[in-house]
Amino acid sequence: MNTVVCIKQVPDTETLIKVQGAGIVTEGIKWVMNPYDEFAVEEALRQKEKMKAGSVAIVSLGPDRGIEAIRTGLAMGADTAVHVNDAAYYDKADPYATAAALAAAIKGLQYDAIFMGKQAIDDDAAQVPAMLAEMLGIPAITMVVKFEVAADKSTATVTREIEGGQAVVEVPLPAVFSAQKGLNEPRYASLPGIMKAKKKPVDVKTAADLGASEGPKTVVKEMTLPPARQAGKVIAGDDAAAKAKELARILHEEVKIV
Amino acid sequence: MHGSGAEISREVFWNILGPGFPTEQVLLYVLVVIALLLFFHGLAKSGFFTRMKAVTSAKGSDVERVNNAWDRFWYMVVDVFGHRKILREPYQGVFHLFIFWGFVALAITTAIVFLQADVIWPIWHVWFMEGNFYLGLSLFADVFGFVAIVGILMAMARRYFMKPKWLDEKAEDKVILWFILAILVTGFVVEALRIQATETDPASPMNPYIWFSPVGRTVAFLFSGMSMDALRDTHVVLWWTHVIGALGFIVFIAYSKLLHIVMTPVNIFLRPDTPQPPIRVMPPEMFENAETFGIHNLEEYSWKDLFDTEACMRCGRCVEVCPAFNTDKPLMPRDVIQNIRTYMENKAKFALDADGNYHIIPDEEYTGPALIGDGIEKDTIWACTTCMACVEACPAYILQFPKLIDLRRYLVMMESDFPAEVMDVFKGMENNSNPWSIGAHTRADWAKGLDVPLLSEKGEAEYLFYVGCAGAFDDLNKKVAVSLAKIFKAAGLDFAILGTEEGCCGDSAKKIGNEYVYQALAMANIETFKAYNVNKIITMCPHGYTALKHDYKELGGSFQVFHYTEILDKLIKQGKITLKQPIENLGTITYHDSCYLGRYNKIYDQPRNILKALKSGSLVEMKSHHAKRFCCGAGGGRMWMEEDLGTRINQKRTQEAEASGAKTICTACPFCYTMLSDGIKELELSEKLQAFDIAQLVAKAAGLDEKTNKSGNDEEQEAAN
Repeated sequence: MNTVVCIKQVPDTETLIKVQGAGIVTEGIKWVMNPYDEFAVEEALRQKEKMKAGSVAIVSLGPDRGIEAIRTGLAMGADTAVHVNDAAYYDKADPYATAAALAAAIKGLQYDAIFMGKQAIDDDAAQVPAMLAEMLGIPAITMVVKFEVAADKSTATVTREIEGGQAVVEVPLPAVFSAQKGLNEPRYASLPGIMKAKKKPVDVKTAADLGASEGPKTVVKEMTLPPARQAGKVIAGDDAAAKAKELARILHEEVKIV
Repeated sequence: MHGSGAEISREVFWNILGPGFPTEQVLLYVLVVIALLLFFHGLAKSGFFTRMKAVTSAKGSDVERVNNAWDRFWYMVVDVFGHRKILREPYQGVFHLFIFWGFVALAITTAIVFLQADVIWPIWHVWFMEGNFYLGLSLFADVFGFVAIVGILMAMARRYFMKPKWLDEKAEDKVILWFILAILVTGFVVEALRIQATETDPASPMNPYIWFSPVGRTVAFLFSGMSMDALRDTHVVLWWTHVIGALGFIVFIAYSKLLHIVMTPVNIFLRPDTPQPPIRVMPPEMFENAETFGIHNLEEYSWKDLFDTEACMRCGRCVEVCPAFNTDKPLMPRDVIQNIRTYMENKAKFALDADGNYHIIPDEEYTGPALIGDGIEKDTIWACTTCMACVEACPAYILQFPKLIDLRRYLVMMESDFPAEVMDVFKGMENNSNPWSIGAHTRADWAKGLDVPLLSEKGEAEYLFYVGCAGAFDDLNKKVAVSLAKIFKAAGLDFAILGTEEGCCGDSAKKIGNEYVYQALAMANIETFKAYNVNKIITMCPHGYTALKHDYKELGGSFQVFHYTEILDKLIKQGKITLKQPIENLGTITYHDSCYLGRYNKIYDQPRNILKALKSGSLVEMKSHHAKRFCCGAGGGRMWMEEDLGTRINQKRTQEAEASGAKTICTACPFCYTMLSDGIKELELSEKLQAFDIAQLVAKAAGLDEKTNKSGNDEEQEAAN
């Protein structure tokens, strides 16, 4: 089975984020592959291994540093990669522009399925899978936790997470599948995998190369961090009754939630 | 012997040689030659030469094995004859010593008799085995023969009655003991029969000296009623039985663990002459051009790794001390070595063609039992805490646990096959340079408000205080880092920390088998140290201490590294820290030696010196301490793995602390501190036991209690909780 996996490079969840205007300070950030995209890469690799045929192509939109996430995918076992790297998208690509760029890059590829994370953990938009499917004219199945494909590769039967339960969906291929946690346990790249990844072909494309002209439809105006966590307070008092009284006073007068 | 004429002596071959041509003497030599031929036949038959072909075909890298040959030789001589390592375990040490020296003495005696009877007398007609020399020799042989019997009986008592659970049990183990006992007993009986026949007569010139063979003389009483003919007939039969037994023993060496008589001294000569048990060096360039990493195939071993398996006589000392074995995990270091040997035998048989030529078999063509999985289970590979107890206990200087690291390397780097919980540890190390996966930018947060100098601001300092991940990220151990910073400041030490420029030392990655990640982390640190011209480094964690002091040398990082206990001990002795504040509720203190401080680096005294200097509480040792101490369970990356097999190592150690009667367990290692604190909680012993790091107690005694710090982590932490 031939698959395309769309991945995004995002800041590590533990890294220090500093907001500057409508964006973040990118210096000093540790970048990683979006964790949900790891499920997508893993699933594509497992399908290829199960079928003992086909290839896995990574497609990613991002600046120069994005190559590190692409190499991570290649080290896990993906075969080829397309890196859409164009200054026009830097800091400006919204989900729409991203989906359009990815669609343009994917159009030239052979695929039975497209895997990607259900959302990127940086902007949390979760829009690209659906938009990409629409632009490619194929179905989109989101929140996939189990994926099985028919022997003739004509359809896939997938289990997706729904509120409070699961649903099993059958869909003709090709289609876009967005991965939810639980789909699989992503592998740790082996050392030979890492070595081989350095030599695997990465096709670097600009928007012009791909004929992608769609710009963003939205503009981020401002970003803010959640308020810092306040220090706790131990309520003093002679006995339980006094403490309760003091608590009530604080809730009324200081916190003003009662 | 014919015509020696000496009165205080004895006739060699008494009652054995007939008149005329010495047929029996010639027969004896024929038998000796046959025994030697059978010995070599036995070696071939038991696969020794095939295994040696496998040993010599191995391609893995190794450390120097024959440098300083003269020193190595003397080390071997002292070790073999003095039983330096064997006597670590008193009971089995003593009985081995008895058997060994019994053998040596009897071999010397036999050699002297041979020289006298078959070389010196026939050629020069000189008889030196007479008078006082003869009497001394007689006494010497008698006493040592007896000592050997005592040793054998002690060994039998262990095999038949004491039966320690770590003792291996094969048929040959008991056969060997009975075999040796039979040889020794027949020897004494033969002697007694001769004494009864030739020395009990008061007219015999030897009669006054009869007690120079005390055992033989005593046994001779049994035969006092026998006629001369009966004595002579029994003597002839038993003499030949004894001779054939002794020669049979030589043959049996080839077929059994007795081969250790030859192989173990050789292995002692070849012992690693390095400050640390050598873990195979992987040069950085290897990651650019090698195709396979770690070991899963016979030829990837070094010749010495395979030779190690020849020197192992299954004594089980490594099993006895193994914390994994002692908590019912499927790891016995001896069996790791024996299983590698079995695997080698299997594969070596495959490698022989019909003409007996040895070919290295490509992996794909080998269909016999595999090394990993068939030979050594994965659970075994992951159970090791790298505490080094096995290596230190082994009287044959075999490297047990480093062989497991080779296998881990293969599993981790080639197969990505490791306990699932380790994934986050690797990712944390890769992305945030700490196994806790906490944001790297918070690495210096523990020092907030303490005014700890940063090297980037200070420019240079005599000492770099390398805090390490535990001191920087783990709430429990941040307190230790705070204590140390305060002590260093109070003592006026010229030091600085790297803050967020510090990185993980990589020890856990290395010992889990991820040499690739370890080297990336180590090189980043080395680069930073070099950029600041760092020379002297103080580490808080013994794991970082070992990595920085020894392991970094392989990567070009050579620094003077100290563990904080070395520094505190010195500062206290110099009077730069005064410990005058009494510490309440300390009670009796016991010190838990960290493996990486004690066994790895021989730091046993400094932590104890510091505790003695506290003037609060008194020091008591646990059942096992110093080199023979029991692990906390966290080394070798076990800190990060679930311990779901057997019982918990940390709990066993906590129980040992409780049994010592101590109220306070002191540690000098963040992993030990965590494990023992957890042990106290898990066993609900909080009312009886408490754990502290030594640094915390020093800070208290010096009046620098961490709690008095207004902006320290405690309050923030409490707030966050």
